[in-house]
Amino acid sequence: MGGACSRKRGEVNEESVQRGAAAKYFKTGSSKWLNTSFRLGAKNSQGVSKCPSLIDLCVHKTCKDIDKFIEKYRTFSMLPRDISQLIFNELVNSHSLNETSLEAFRDCALEDILLGEYPGVNDSWMDVIASQALSLLAVDLSGSDVTDCGLLHLEDCINLQNLTFNYCDRLSDLGLEHISGFSNLKSLSFKKNNAITAQGMSAFARLPNLLRLDLERCSKIHGGLVHLKGLTKLESLNVRCCNCITDTDMKPLSGLANLKELQISCSKVTDQGVAYLKGLSNLVLLNMEGSPVTAACLGSISGLLALSYLNLSRCNISDDGCEKISGLVNLKVLNLGFNNITDACLVNLKGLTNLESLNLDSCRIGDEGMTNLAGLVRLKCLELSDTEVGNVGLRHFSGLRSLESLNLSFTIVSDGGLRKLCGLTSLKSLNLDSRQITDIGLATLTSLTSLTHLDLFGCRITDFGTTCLRYFKNLQSLEVCGGGLTDAGVKNIKDLTSLVHLNLSQNTNLTDKTMEMISGLSNLASLNVSNSRITNSGLRYIKPLKNLRSLTLESCGVTANEMKKLQATALPNLLSFRPE
Amino acid sequence: MKKEEMVTLISAEGFEFVIDKKAAMVSQTIRNMLTSPGSFAESREGKVTFPEISTAILEKICQYFYWSLQYASGKETEFHIEPEMTLELMMAANYLHT
Repeated sequence: MGGACSRKRGEVNEESVQRGAAAKYFKTGSSKWLNTSFRLGAKNSQGVSKCPSLIDLCVHKTCKDIDKFIEKYRTFSMLPRDISQLIFNELVNSHSLNETSLEAFRDCALEDILLGEYPGVNDSWMDVIASQALSLLAVDLSGSDVTDCGLLHLEDCINLQNLTFNYCDRLSDLGLEHISGFSNLKSLSFKKNNAITAQGMSAFARLPNLLRLDLERCSKIHGGLVHLKGLTKLESLNVRCCNCITDTDMKPLSGLANLKELQISCSKVTDQGVAYLKGLSNLVLLNMEGSPVTAACLGSISGLLALSYLNLSRCNISDDGCEKISGLVNLKVLNLGFNNITDACLVNLKGLTNLESLNLDSCRIGDEGMTNLAGLVRLKCLELSDTEVGNVGLRHFSGLRSLESLNLSFTIVSDGGLRKLCGLTSLKSLNLDSRQITDIGLATLTSLTSLTHLDLFGCRITDFGTTCLRYFKNLQSLEVCGGGLTDAGVKNIKDLTSLVHLNLSQNTNLTDKTMEMISGLSNLASLNVSNSRITNSGLRYIKPLKNLRSLTLESCGVTANEMKKLQATALPNLLSFRPE
Repeated sequence: MKKEEMVTLISAEGFEFVIDKKAAMVSQTIRNMLTSPGSFAESREGKVTFPEISTAILEKICQYFYWSLQYASGKETEFHIEPEMTLELMMAANYLHT
């Protein structure tokens, strides 16, 4: 049974690293947020249907008839633990667990009670939860109304390894007191709690086996990290967006030699604070986004050779002192976006040949600096939005054959430069959002047939240019909002059947005919044709788009009433629509 | 059909179900019994006895095996489970890794 727990630990680890890395590159990605908020449905539309196991079918059946079942047997405690666990999980997933059905799980020796974001959870649930006693290994009550008194119930569950109480605003220092006896605890999370203070955090000192601690968005924890001093096993500490964290809070971390991940973004930590991190030689991930550090802090971390992820976005980095970054040769992900750096800084990146992702969003860099990126052949993701990079700079990209994602929005790149990209056939995502790109530039990119995401938001694309879109058969997301499209151009989009997100807003000449033409794009989850001539009578054409979850038709001839009708009669999955 | 391609599953009451080996192998437990070299008598004789599974439940399980093969070949129908046998069936399915 211990195996199940180690599996869990692995997952948590990866998730936090990836989330930290991925979240940074989507600043301008106007439709990308949809991917996360629509997670539940995405699995069905893409997943291959796999034969359900007999146990799955039985569990499903039990949950469907749960009331009858409870009436007959009253309890699940006669079942083997792993079966009652499956039933419990299914009830939670299908939102059919309530206080009555919970009672049937008393003394079932469950290992996991994961009720994060589950509605209605409060102290009266704690007695049954605690009855799992020594079997209980993981509890997640995020977003619940559980109070400090409620936590007292768990006192005897001394084998607990994972505790998650994110967004539990009724918990305070007193609650921390109750968990201080869980000496087996490996993972503890209290995201966004404004009541926890340094005083309550003294309980952490009695958790010698803690590997992961998450206090993201806790506003009153200044001075409390001193209690982590003896937790030498700690591998991951997240105090992101804790504005109260200062240099003195870094001092107790200096001896935590096993620390692999440290997130102190949006804190008050300066170069002096970073100096305490010098000895953390196992550090793999360091996130200091939005903290008031300067390039001088690189002197303190340049010896951390294990570092592979470094986020210095929105700090006070300037060219002066940047040379120290060249020593971090194992870096895979580097974010220097929104700093006051110029081409002079980029010289120091030349030797970082392990880089897979580089973000220079809104830096004062231009063509000259791009020469230093030419040798970074492992780069998969390059973010140059809002920079002075132009056509000359793109010349240096021809060797970046691994590049999968490139953002050139709001740069001075124009049609003439795009030819240099035509050999980058691994590209999956390309953002060219800027006014000076036209049909002519797009026509030079037809070799990029792997593209799944293409953002031409402000580009001056006309019907003529849309003929090029036919080459991008794998497109899942497309934005063409420059105003130059008519219904005739949409004809070239109607066969891109992989499309999930389509934004054709601001093309004021599009009519109901457009709706008719896109009616075959059955994978569409989001559609925006705002600011067009579409009317109520165009809505009937999109009734077959059963996967549609977001529909935006602002400033058209469409009324809120008809939109509501469409949702009620034809598009049950529609979560968000405008006008509403 | 050749004899080796069939297996016999025997219920607690001694009732014998002769089914395709391919169907029986849907169960990970039975697959292990039938394929692990030497050690199991079951793999030599193609007979497996389940002293803790009643005839009614074993019949349902055999039905599931065939349903599952159909499902895999693209015929996605619903598998009906009688409410009164759900609990016992669940325990057996758990044992059979099915």
